[in-house]
Amino acid sequence: MFYFPQLFSGATAQFPITRQRTARTVVNQSCQSYEVKLADPGAAVTAWHLSLEELSDQELAALEALFQGVEGRLTPFMFLDPVDNLLAWSEQQNQAVWQADPLLTMASRLADPLGGTGAYQLSNPTSATLTLQQTVNAPATLGYCLSLYARSDQSPRVWLVRGSENDGRPISTVWTRVISAGQLQSTAQSINFGVALDPGTTVDIFGLQVEAQTTASPYKKTTETGGVYPNARFRDDSLSITTVGPGRYSCELDIINVEHL
Amino acid sequence: MFPTLKTGAVIQYPAKRTLQFNTDAIRFLDGTEQRFRDNPFVLREWNIHLDLLDEAELDALDQFFLSNQGRFGSFSFTDPWDGTVYASCSLKGDVSAFQLTGEMRGKTILTVCQNRT
Repeated sequence: MFYFPQLFSGATAQFPITRQRTARTVVNQSCQSYEVKLADPGAAVTAWHLSLEELSDQELAALEALFQGVEGRLTPFMFLDPVDNLLAWSEQQNQAVWQADPLLTMASRLADPLGGTGAYQLSNPTSATLTLQQTVNAPATLGYCLSLYARSDQSPRVWLVRGSENDGRPISTVWTRVISAGQLQSTAQSINFGVALDPGTTVDIFGLQVEAQTTASPYKKTTETGGVYPNARFRDDSLSITTVGPGRYSCELDIINVEHL
Repeated sequence: MFPTLKTGAVIQYPAKRTLQFNTDAIRFLDGTEQRFRDNPFVLREWNIHLDLLDEAELDALDQFFLSNQGRFGSFSFTDPWDGTVYASCSLKGDVSAFQLTGEMRGKTILTVCQNRT
């Protein structure tokens, strides 16, 4: 599978980034301004305009290899939205996308650190470590950052699950944002992210977020889809590169995701 | 409900509100006109220009656009000029875009219009 490469900085994009969402609504309007509307969710389009500056020879080579591999706008590739959370249902851990170990108990709608009621309480009544995780269908070779808010009255730490890595992070009775970031030595086409609890502990969590970059940006809530677009395409059949000096390149890209293609 | 910014505000300067009547005019051969209203009341529209937003604020607006499926959905909107709540409003367009030029430097434009109910 083709996927959009990360830069050496670990980011997928640079500022400025523009993202545009387009919906389609069929409207029947009467001359008295009454309207009958019909939504067409299958026609939704998401588009990104990326401006990349100061690319190196290797970064440019990866970008050109992708463009040639997908033959311009002909075939799709995996694109990870640089301004979104890759996890789906970030505040509804009872959805099917989340895999909880059988004896892990969850209580929802607790007060969260951002003033809402999107936090969850996870309890592990067993004598083994239990996990709550979600599989993201994105290449494990890229670098990712998993972040979440956590607090606990009894447990001094929470484990962040990032593929095969489990990172223990200290927590306290006040909400703390903890992160686990890095790149795995794996070529798998999917990767798990989540939390693990030590035996006999209870931890409040909120705001699970995964981004394809080296550190966490402000938390973004998601619903049925995260920022993983397996059928993204280049909008155009041409890729223009400007060489601004030896080993220094810049280019502008338009990427689209169209559900009905 | 339309999302508010972290400041609690809905809108930033420059703010624009439009009042829209819908009048039909029939002109006769002798030059006289007969006019009548198609709408029983004025319909309002608000142009919301937002700048210097952080990613959480942009995300809230994005989620709002997605949950409304563009101009399909309806919601109640509080007029920031006078606090009047209009029970049935919609986004005017099917397109929502934002630009991030740096951290906490996002900007977007939305238009909310009052529906005739």
